[in-house]
Amino acid sequence: MKQLTSALLVLCALTLPACEQAFAPAAEALLIAPPLGLPALPIPPDSPLTRARIDLGRTLFMDRRLSHNNTLSCAMCHVPEQGFTSHELGTAIGLEGQSIRRNSPTIYNVAYVEQLFHDGREFSLENQAWGPLLAGNEMANPSIGYVIEKIKVLPEYAGRFEKAFNGRGPDMQTVGQALASYQRTLVSANSRFDRWHFGKEQGALTAEEKAGFELFSGKAGCSSCHLVGDKQALFSDNRFHNSGIGYARSMGPAKKHRVQLAPGVFVDVEDKALNAFEQPLPDVGRYEVTLDPADSWAYRTPILRNVALTSPYMHDGSLATLDDVIEFYDGGGIDNPQKDPLLRPLGLTTQEKRALLAFLGSLTGDNVAQQVAEARATQPGDRPPAHDPASTFRRSY
Amino acid sequence: MKMIKTTNLARNVALTLALSAVLAAAPAFADETSCSPFTPLIKGQEDLVYVWTLGVKGIGDGSDKLVTVDVNPKSKTYGKVIHKLSLGGRGEVHHVGLSDDRRFLWGGALDSNKIFVFDIGTNPAKPKLTRTITDFVEKTGFVGPHSFIAMPGRMLITPLSNKKDHGGETGVVVYNNKGEYVSHEQMPKTNGGDGYGYDVGINPQKNVFLTSSFTGWNNYMMDLGKMVKDPEAMKRFGNTSVMWDMKTMKPLKVFQTPGAPLEVRWSWNKGDNWAVTTTALTSKIWVYKQDAKGEWQARDVATIGDPAKIPLPVDISITADAKGMWINTFMDGTARYWDMSDPMAPKEVFTKKIGSQVNMVSQSYDGKRVYFTSSLLGNWDKKAKDDEQYLKLYNWDGKDLKLAFEIDFYKEKLGRAHHMKFQARDLSTLQPLDVAQNLPALLARKQ
Ligand code: HEC
Ligand code: HEC
Repeated sequence: MKQLTSALLVLCALTLPACEQAFAPAAEALLIAPPLGLPALPIPPDSPLTRARIDLGRTLFMDRRLSHNNTLSCAMCHVPEQGFTSHELGTAIGLEGQSIRRNSPTIYNVAYVEQLFHDGREFSLENQAWGPLLAGNEMANPSIGYVIEKIKVLPEYAGRFEKAFNGRGPDMQTVGQALASYQRTLVSANSRFDRWHFGKEQGALTAEEKAGFELFSGKAGCSSCHLVGDKQALFSDNRFHNSGIGYARSMGPAKKHRVQLAPGVFVDVEDKALNAFEQPLPDVGRYEVTLDPADSWAYRTPILRNVALTSPYMHDGSLATLDDVIEFYDGGGIDNPQKDPLLRPLGLTTQEKRALLAFLGSLTGDNVAQQVAEARATQPGDRPPAHDPASTFRRSY
Repeated sequence: MKMIKTTNLARNVALTLALSAVLAAAPAFADETSCSPFTPLIKGQEDLVYVWTLGVKGIGDGSDKLVTVDVNPKSKTYGKVIHKLSLGGRGEVHHVGLSDDRRFLWGGALDSNKIFVFDIGTNPAKPKLTRTITDFVEKTGFVGPHSFIAMPGRMLITPLSNKKDHGGETGVVVYNNKGEYVSHEQMPKTNGGDGYGYDVGINPQKNVFLTSSFTGWNNYMMDLGKMVKDPEAMKRFGNTSVMWDMKTMKPLKVFQTPGAPLEVRWSWNKGDNWAVTTTALTSKIWVYKQDAKGEWQARDVATIGDPAKIPLPVDISITADAKGMWINTFMDGTARYWDMSDPMAPKEVFTKKIGSQVNMVSQSYDGKRVYFTSSLLGNWDKKAKDDEQYLKLYNWDGKDLKLAFEIDFYKEKLGRAHHMKFQARDLSTLQPLDVAQNLPALLARKQ
């Protein structure tokens, strides 16, 4: 925690004009000096980072009681030890086990995502937080007010909002800002790749990893979507592309599923053998936001930093390993009318695939252990409120 | 109605007296099978069946319930629901367990992590909720309290998951009869252990208990069809079982029993030293037996149905003499009777389709009455017309199962029928199991 503070957080001098206008006089604003490889951290002027807000946001992020039945925190789906995603599920499940049709994306470097969610339907972390809190199949709270009243009656939060927000208690904006503040600090870079490419440390990458980067930005064409700049690299264009995975899921023929029964023991199960159970949920991707047929089955290009830690891959978690991802791209994606023309069969040799894989493994930031430890050091408490917030609510004005 | 006193002293005295009385008694234990050996049994006609019932959105009040059914054929309300107790909310209620004196029923919820304690002694026909334990996660870090097996003055509880990542790593937990947390242990992750847990069966004669392993919240809460199609999810099942030292609560040996070994039953035949389980995914019967040197060994002794079709063996029920065992396969809704006279070479001798899906099976002490219920897990049950929810009683004459009554749990606006426990209206008729010789040592163990 100390280390993180000194490495990433610099106290903002209150004389800086930007700081002055953004803060109430007493607030201590923090600026995050971006680690090597990342651009300056985008921070909305009306939601400045402060130590108190970050700490409060982390507590909220880890608190299972923020779901209606006290079982799901943000961190149960964005698990710190699992790259702030979930290794154990292709697509997530929410309250009472309800199905969610998409993979939990990593929260690392989420501050740099311009349009949030796989389909880009939300534009700020402040607003995004209310999505899972209220979605009936995620944390499933009955209402905005219910969440706020619940936080008010949980003793662990007494006074913390007021301290972080200049006397303001929990409300729709402060809850969103606290969660956003914490998530913005989950920056992770200064990877071996960054030290080689931007820091010019020759020995930071192996020859194979360097060859992998050549392919990534050359023959394999990855960097036309997973952008690498001159001074920094997000490995994303923050745009939406159709690779065919979503198309095949919605439109493809019924298929057989290879099902693992025990380590090394598999059987093939036909779709129709599972007819008695829930049918797959529809998903048309970016189209659902813009209603433009050209956007059908397009999903946002993910930031590839820490990608070795964030399996399984793609919006539906359908590719288990980075090997599978490379095989998928080598095949040129899955043909469909809206497929991105940038995807084409690559003809990679085995050696080239190995090099690409090695390169992707060099994108892991240097502060992962700290970020995980910091999240886990937060113990929000497990005890549900003694009374349901709805049963104790009294108007206070 | 005659009542048994509940003070510890009285109970100990009762059990000590029982000890001398049963030294020469016949082998005991049927299902009554999944009871703890410390719990006194109903050796005659059971009067009541409690059905731990999952609330379903849109069915009745939508809430989880304890449903009491009159099952005494001499009674006017035979085959009828005579009492229901709504608990408020849906918490994925799953299994129940009887206290050491059979005056209390503990029921767990795999999602809400609540443990409900019902008084079934004062008026067995009208169970009363006396305590709701809500500190399980706080005290243990575990999620999904599953099995409840009584020990003297205590309840041994095996959960399924943990609060950190909702995966399968978990442990074993002890609470006392007052509902207070006592201790917990992590499932072993060394010597081949995978950290997963599920059921527990104790054998005080051997000073051991055996635990099996299933999967974490992520999987047991997920739609079964979705899970089967998710290769990541399917990698997260337990593949081990563990023999523990009962007194020290330390693992003795880890067995590789791949594919989710579930229910654990011991043979209570005099001189027998074996337990049995079935694996849900790989459809095997495993027997755990001491070898000539006294070391516990696990052996895969038979295959149930066609494993390629994933029949999903779920609950099992062993007969009082351990010569036979019911095995339910969920997917084809079939009950299968296995001849266990040679436990190392069991044979399937009878099958019958019970419904579109079947999960739990409980037999009376004499094996003549066999009860079935339908629900496995809220989100694993079949959907639409295949989602039959019932309690069915069959009479078993050793050759065929004949339906005596059935209750449609949807028509009755109850929900999903899951775990069952029997009760007698007159608790003075209860009789102890013949394991009492170990009790003094057990009761003297360090608190
Ligand atoms: C039940 C699992 C679950 C829970 C609980 C959950 N999330 Fe998510 N999260 C997801 C899934 C799945 C997505 C992707 C959904 C989509 O794209 O439609 C997502 C997307 C996000 C994103 C967008 C990331 C990106 O790259 O676009 C953020 C940020 C986020 N979640 C933060 C949170 C916060 C904060 C909470 C708690 C208030 C939370 N999540 C709770 C599963 C979950
Ligand atoms: C046409 C643009 C485009 C190109 C070219 C491209 N990608 Fe992607 N990449 C995407 C998009 C869009 C996704 C997300 C797809 C989804 O969610 O279904 C993605 C996802 C990924 C992921 C999964 C990340 C995660 O967290 O799920 C990896 C790894 C990846 N790409 C690597 C590569 C590599 C290696 C190449 C070159 C061989 C490449 N990409 C070429 C657009 C592109």
